[in-house]
Amino acid sequence: VSLAHTLSCRPVRVGALDWLALHALALWPHGAYLIQRAADGSDDPLGLLALAAVAALVVWHRHGLRVTPRLGWLVASMAVAIAANGAWWAGVPALLASLFAALSLVCALLAWWPATQVRLPLAGLVLLALPWIASLQFYLGFPLRVITAQLSAWGLQAAGFDATRSGASMLVNGQLVIVDAPCSGVQMAWLAYFTACAAAAATGLSDRLFARRAAMVGAIVLLGNVLRNSVLVALESRPAGLSAAWHEAIGLAVLAAVCVAVLALVQRKEAPHV
Amino acid sequence: MPTLQAPRREPLSIGRVLACIALSIIAAIALVAWGPAQADDAEARAAESPYFHVKSDDATLDALPLKGTQVDVKISGVIADVVVTQHYRNEGQRPIEAKYIFPGSTRAAVHAMNVRLGDRMITAQIREKQRARLEYDAAKREGKTTALLEQERPNVFSMNVANILPGDDVRVELKYTELIAPDAGQYRFVFPTVVGPRYRSPNAAPANGHLSATAHLPEGVKSNTTFDLSVQLHAPLPVSEVVSHTHKLEAQGVGTERVTLALADEGQRDNRDFILEYKLGGERTATGLMLYRAPNEPNAENFFLALVEPPKQVAPVQINPRDYIFVVDISGSMHGHPLNTAKVLLRNLISGLRPSDSFNVVLFSGSSRVLSEQSVPATQANIARAIKTIEQMGGGGSTEIVPALRRVAALPKPADVSRSVIVVTDGYVAVENEVFQLVRRNLDHFNVFAFGIGSSVNRHLIEGLARAGQGEAFIVTKPERAAEQADRLRRIIDSPVLTQLKARFTGVEVYDVEPASLPDVMAGRPVLVWGKWRGNPQGAKLILQGHAASGSHTEVVDAPTPDADAVALKHLWARQRIAQLGDEEALMGGQTQREPITALGLKYGLLTQYTSFIAVDHVVRTQQAAVPVDQPLPLPEGVSKLAVGNTNASQTFGAVVPSTPEPRLVFALLVMALLGMAAWGRRQRIAAAAR
Repeated sequence: VSLAHTLSCRPVRVGALDWLALHALALWPHGAYLIQRAADGSDDPLGLLALAAVAALVVWHRHGLRVTPRLGWLVASMAVAIAANGAWWAGVPALLASLFAALSLVCALLAWWPATQVRLPLAGLVLLALPWIASLQFYLGFPLRVITAQLSAWGLQAAGFDATRSGASMLVNGQLVIVDAPCSGVQMAWLAYFTACAAAAATGLSDRLFARRAAMVGAIVLLGNVLRNSVLVALESRPAGLSAAWHEAIGLAVLAAVCVAVLALVQRKEAPHV
Repeated sequence: MPTLQAPRREPLSIGRVLACIALSIIAAIALVAWGPAQADDAEARAAESPYFHVKSDDATLDALPLKGTQVDVKISGVIADVVVTQHYRNEGQRPIEAKYIFPGSTRAAVHAMNVRLGDRMITAQIREKQRARLEYDAAKREGKTTALLEQERPNVFSMNVANILPGDDVRVELKYTELIAPDAGQYRFVFPTVVGPRYRSPNAAPANGHLSATAHLPEGVKSNTTFDLSVQLHAPLPVSEVVSHTHKLEAQGVGTERVTLALADEGQRDNRDFILEYKLGGERTATGLMLYRAPNEPNAENFFLALVEPPKQVAPVQINPRDYIFVVDISGSMHGHPLNTAKVLLRNLISGLRPSDSFNVVLFSGSSRVLSEQSVPATQANIARAIKTIEQMGGGGSTEIVPALRRVAALPKPADVSRSVIVVTDGYVAVENEVFQLVRRNLDHFNVFAFGIGSSVNRHLIEGLARAGQGEAFIVTKPERAAEQADRLRRIIDSPVLTQLKARFTGVEVYDVEPASLPDVMAGRPVLVWGKWRGNPQGAKLILQGHAASGSHTEVVDAPTPDADAVALKHLWARQRIAQLGDEEALMGGQTQREPITALGLKYGLLTQYTSFIAVDHVVRTQQAAVPVDQPLPLPEGVSKLAVGNTNASQTFGAVVPSTPEPRLVFALLVMALLGMAAWGRRQRIAAAAR
């Protein structure tokens, strides 16, 4: 005799999409935070793009979602959601609380996710939805800029330029060029990882391979940013300088090249084991 | 018996990841910490940036302790004796330590300081700089009233007065001597009243030395301190054409040998240099040889000063074509009035070029840009284009003069053409030594003429640039005065009056003569020779020989009777020697001349970069710690708040420092969308082919 029968009520069947929607609704303070950060200009609205990609993936695989959720992941998702909301009301920094919320959403998705589909890229996209860019610029921006400036200086020296680095600035042929916050490559890194996650999710790259290649995406981004910076600095050090249009064009060309390299990396078939 | 052995486990992949992260962090830290070796800068304190004074709400603290400055000037012949009295009073309820950054003449030999505290007078002692600082700190801790005068630049001083108790009235008196050398028959006495906000470059070398931060009152706010100045002029010839273009004057006795002057301005007086100009007996100047005989004491030294007028300039027969590079400061401190003055000056300078000349224009602030890759002929079209470019300039951003001059040095130059670099700036930077070094190291490429623009120019930079570049310094305070200075530059460049100049004495033994080799004499400037003498100067002569446009030129000056009162010559000689050593130090970098400069400062009792004046009261007056208070300065007249505030690159019109920002997000997303579509299309094609 089921408990439901004893209590004279019928069990309610909830579909995967409904459950996920309800779960997302339970995390509304964090969603409002994401929208607020995107709207007030304190961070780039890229997170919304990642959320849209997650939603598109869920809709794409809606027919393959499990009928009964994995209980472990479901319980974990609820526990982490309670922790996320508790952290929010307890005044924990909003980004940290939202990280719990994102993890909770990942758990909820994995509870319903088809066994045949990849998981890590999905988790990656959910994490990319958080407003990381400004915080990464603040904490990682300077080391990244110094590394970029130093590698650029070495590259330009090898190409015959009189280039030295001082802090995050460069002196090239007597011309001072600053490698400031917008030059750090954080935006390029976000876009490259987004490309990697989206492409891996679309092509069904195994989680193991994705984890291995995600580290190489970082190297591609660093190389791409150093290349972009070196070309721009070399052209800026000419007496005539460089127009804003050329700045944009060169930056976009390098970004496109980085994304194509990431796509090629993600779509590459694994070499057969001997 | 087989032993049990735990199976060796491969490290967890998470461990590898953590190891990689740790290695990356260590590498990043090592990279940040690593830097090129820099010579002897362990003790160097960098220059500090200027800032705006914020009014305190604390009613118990007197945040503006300097109540007034009184300047008394006595000019006898070519020597000015100046007494500056700074009046501090604490109208708060807590003891304070006042710090006041103030300017001085670049040629001043500061030789005495007294502190009047109520009815007591404390005479300051000259000490080695570090020792003076230690004594000052110790007296401050003990609760004694103490004053410390330090030199931060040859024309910037810092006065620290500690333990000014509530109700105290402290008057600090400092005395200096300077030479007033005539220029084309005109005498000019300059008393700077305010230090302009100096731009501190983040890339400045430590060799430039420490420069304290200056607190500035906001634009348009007058200082609360009074400023008064009086001049007594005693000349051997009647004084005429007494004029000041900077302040209104009340003059008595003009046309006689004794003139008395006082300020007549009602408004603000201390936000611009005081510049007094006069002539003696028409076109004549009081030149010749002056001798000082020391009292009969062991090791007493006698000094001389020769001030000889050059011959009149002769119009040159043939003028060789020249290449001119105009280097124009368009930084934030030049915004508004100074840049407008610079534009008038440049219109005058550029439009006066001959068609056979060539020229180029370098505009700099945080970055620099040139009119063209190489110099262009001074055709009407090119001149019009240059003037149009200059007219479009606003003023904004920082003042990176060193990279701009490096760029000038790298500009291509035809081997057979002489190049003159004309620098136009207010000089509000803290990298003077680096600039002098750069100019000297490129002397075979060009000589430098420096135009100081504005009401309170950094004369140390302007005069030093001209000295290092074997050129001449010009000051233009107003647009109306631009044309005459442009004309003067043309006259000077066209033909130096005397070259290969040599000075020798007969009938008396001279030694420690300054300068060691005489520079070429420009139009109107007298020849100046300092030194010591011994023996009997009766019948002695100074013989100056050089090449003038008309051929060989010789000037003979008879020695007068030595004067026991001309003690100022001693200070002026020592000041000149110290300046010479300072120039050498700036060229070498580091503190290579520290010992000789310190020795000269201590021996002759002069304020130098390595010696300071310290006065300590013997009475312990308080147990309460003094609150440090920085006396704010007004902004120099015509200088806008852009000279102090950080300006946003997008808000400025000048050439800002370029950077390499990533492309705009909207374009980046567009590229991503295109790539996504292309990838999707490719997948579809491959899938269709497979079917």
